[in-house]
Amino acid sequence: MRLRLQQLAVSYPAPGGTLLPALGPITFDIADDEFLCLVGPSGCGKSTLIRVLAGLLQPTAGSAYCGDALIDRPLPDIAIMFQDANLMPWRTVLDNIALPLEIAGVAESERHQTVRELLPQLNLDGFELAYPAELSGGMAQRAALGRVILQQPRIWLLDEPFGALDALTREKLSLELLRLRQRSRQTIVLVTHDISEAVLLADRIIVLSRRPGAVIADIAIDLPRPRFAAMIYQPEFLRLTKQVRESIESLRD
Amino acid sequence: MAKNESTQPEIARPYANGVVWRRLSPLATVLVLILVWHWITDWQLVSRILIPPPAQVLQSLAKALADGTLAKHAGTTLGEMMLGLPLGVSIGLAIGYAIAKAPLLEYILSPIIVAFQSTPIVAYAPLLIIIFGTGPSSKVVTTAVIVFFPTLVNTIVGIRGVSPRLRDLMRSLNASRWQIFRKLELPSALPVILAGLKTSATLAVIGAVVGEFVGSGSGLGVLVISARSQYDTPLVYVTVLTMTAIALSLYSLVALVEWRVLVWQRRST
Amino acid sequence: MVKLIRYLSLLALLSASIGSAQAALVEERILLTFIPNVQFAPFYVGIEQGHFADAGFDVSLDHLQEPEVLDLVAVGQANFGIVSGEQVILARSRGRDVIYIFEWFQQYPVALVHSAALDLSDLEQLRGLAVGIPGRFGASYSGLTTLLSSAGLTESDIEVKEIGFNAAEVVCLGAVDAAMVYANNEPLQIRNRAAAGDCGAITDVELITVASQVDLVSNGLIVGRSLLDSDPDSAARMAGALKAALRQAINNPARAYLSSLKYVDTLPNGASLVAELEAAAERQARFLASHPDRQAVAASRAELLRQLSQQFDPSLLAQFQVLLNTIELWDADELGFSDLASWEAMRDTLALMGFLGDELGDLADAFSNDYVLGGSE
Repeated sequence: MRLRLQQLAVSYPAPGGTLLPALGPITFDIADDEFLCLVGPSGCGKSTLIRVLAGLLQPTAGSAYCGDALIDRPLPDIAIMFQDANLMPWRTVLDNIALPLEIAGVAESERHQTVRELLPQLNLDGFELAYPAELSGGMAQRAALGRVILQQPRIWLLDEPFGALDALTREKLSLELLRLRQRSRQTIVLVTHDISEAVLLADRIIVLSRRPGAVIADIAIDLPRPRFAAMIYQPEFLRLTKQVRESIESLRD
Repeated sequence: MAKNESTQPEIARPYANGVVWRRLSPLATVLVLILVWHWITDWQLVSRILIPPPAQVLQSLAKALADGTLAKHAGTTLGEMMLGLPLGVSIGLAIGYAIAKAPLLEYILSPIIVAFQSTPIVAYAPLLIIIFGTGPSSKVVTTAVIVFFPTLVNTIVGIRGVSPRLRDLMRSLNASRWQIFRKLELPSALPVILAGLKTSATLAVIGAVVGEFVGSGSGLGVLVISARSQYDTPLVYVTVLTMTAIALSLYSLVALVEWRVLVWQRRST
Repeated sequence: MVKLIRYLSLLALLSASIGSAQAALVEERILLTFIPNVQFAPFYVGIEQGHFADAGFDVSLDHLQEPEVLDLVAVGQANFGIVSGEQVILARSRGRDVIYIFEWFQQYPVALVHSAALDLSDLEQLRGLAVGIPGRFGASYSGLTTLLSSAGLTESDIEVKEIGFNAAEVVCLGAVDAAMVYANNEPLQIRNRAAAGDCGAITDVELITVASQVDLVSNGLIVGRSLLDSDPDSAARMAGALKAALRQAINNPARAYLSSLKYVDTLPNGASLVAELEAAAERQARFLASHPDRQAVAASRAELLRQLSQQFDPSLLAQFQVLLNTIELWDADELGFSDLASWEAMRDTLALMGFLGDELGDLADAFSNDYVLGGSE
């Protein structure tokens, strides 16, 4: 499903009654089934953009559309995954993953069945009755991933979902994300500060400028799929990484 | 940083070591206290008029149990508490929730609530007796008033402490208001609310007894005054200890509920 | 440093000299009940006009509940206390050796108050009515039991309602038909409210005093056995001082009221009222110099109230009137004596209530009139 951003801008109220521009105005489209990575310096409005697309934040100006629908509230086709797992500490892994089904009114036995079928793919076999505090960071994030999968969204918004994890776990999870996506293709918008991760995963990378964030580079990543970890040593990969890095570094002063 | 991902979750058993001793230690404290009490009276360190020997108190307890005095008065007090406690707690929950959700309400209500809380209930209990009559209803009110505040404060703290990012999650799942309350706010605030309820449970006895002190036909507050006015010090002790026992039982009951409901907190530490 | 030491030693010298100046007076705490109130005027008079000092005491006052007063005297934490006679009987029946050595109130102060519209000329007519008492304890309850038994009734013949110390409100609300009150205080409150149209359907009230039916021993001075054993002279001096102060309060109520001002914050103390009372106290002192008899003094009190009523609002005089009402309960030809019959009547009432423990022993040991004789008026 296609996402369209038209003259989208967000400002936050600042002390003294003024408005502090945080993002935009920006205009671009995200194609159906596209894997888009958003990169940029911290504070460039990446997370703000994700919140607008998730329908959690109203833009100050312009608008965003999902297909033909104006995004003015959370839409069922769009799911968001947060920087940390954001699990409910009082729920077991099973009930945390099943939350979207529970909200949708699916019967308990049915939703537990669905989650149990999903657990092996998430590498969470045998942990269904554990509480979040008993999980490692990677396991918790995989449970959160399972929760998003059960929403069966057409569009995934991922706000630095692996940012809090160590490098190895992050790479492992990134590739798992690709593997999962190959089975049923969706539009993905991933915010990351890791350039290699962006190049390895994305079809296209958009580089945002410092506050207020504006599009300063729009780079197509035409590496073949399926992607794999060893690709990061290929010359084409290195060239693309360099190109992204240079456009970010051009922002320095 | 990350835990070993291959370990199975183990059921936490915080009391596994020395569980027997830990459970028995409060009992031991009580036994030592009774022994000290016995010696103090036995050696006449303090006049028996002020502190009667434990044996005399035990005799008085047996008598008050046998002739039904204790059951009658404790029954009255318990009855008042069993109405007043739920009443005060539910009003505290409702207003606390409303205030947590609408900060404007806090500006409007907090002067009244703080005034109520900071005025000693003993001072205005006589007014409540005049308004609500000398029957049990006025004691239900004093109990409700005294348990209201801890419930209110803890509800506000609990609901305000709900993670904003979990709120975002619920919104992005298109959860209804009721679902947000039932599946997010309530379970998230529950530990804090239950802590408030423990305080309320012990205060409930005070609320009922204060009401009875001011004017009542029966209840433990009346029994303590009447025993005191008849210089029956052992019966005073029996009555006070009964109040303690009621407060402790109620506290333990809430603690038990807490223990059953908050499994995840035990497992999380 | 040297300067400081010199300063400190000077200070020590100074305080020592003050100490020795006061050494002549023994510090004594008298434990009273209730709260500071014009009804305790004899004690304020005794301090302010030197009756206690003359007897060698530097007296301070404390207010506690009756059982606390009694127990503190019983265990020797205080030498003197004021409680009602029934407390002495109850406490002695449960092992407290306290002795009542001076009867302060000659008349039992409790009464039944009821709307004047209600005919209770025969106490038998109480049957079936709702009667308010503070609770099933203390003088009000004993008084009610005595009234009922003198009419051949028991508690089950009426409806007893525990109303705390809120008789005026509850009576005016009409929640009870009658209430047990202190004869010198609440009836006045209710009358004032009724006069102001602020007492529901009630326009006036009538009183049935317990004293009109039975002579019960009332409030008085108690001491512990150990004091009587170790220092009987101090007990006699205290009884004598109280007797003198009490007589002074009875004879010169204006002066007694003025002496109370320092102790009772809530007393009306407007400049014109104080000036008027000062003048009245001076006049009364000259009048007393002519050694008038009791009736003449009583007449002078009534005359003073009449004069004051013409000048001042009733609400300003309410507390003064409480004092005059209370004086009626104190006054007698011989102050301080209690007789065995009134003790026996009280014991019988308490036995009827089922309140007595089993250690009472001989009732004659509970009180003594020997110490009153030590004092002079």
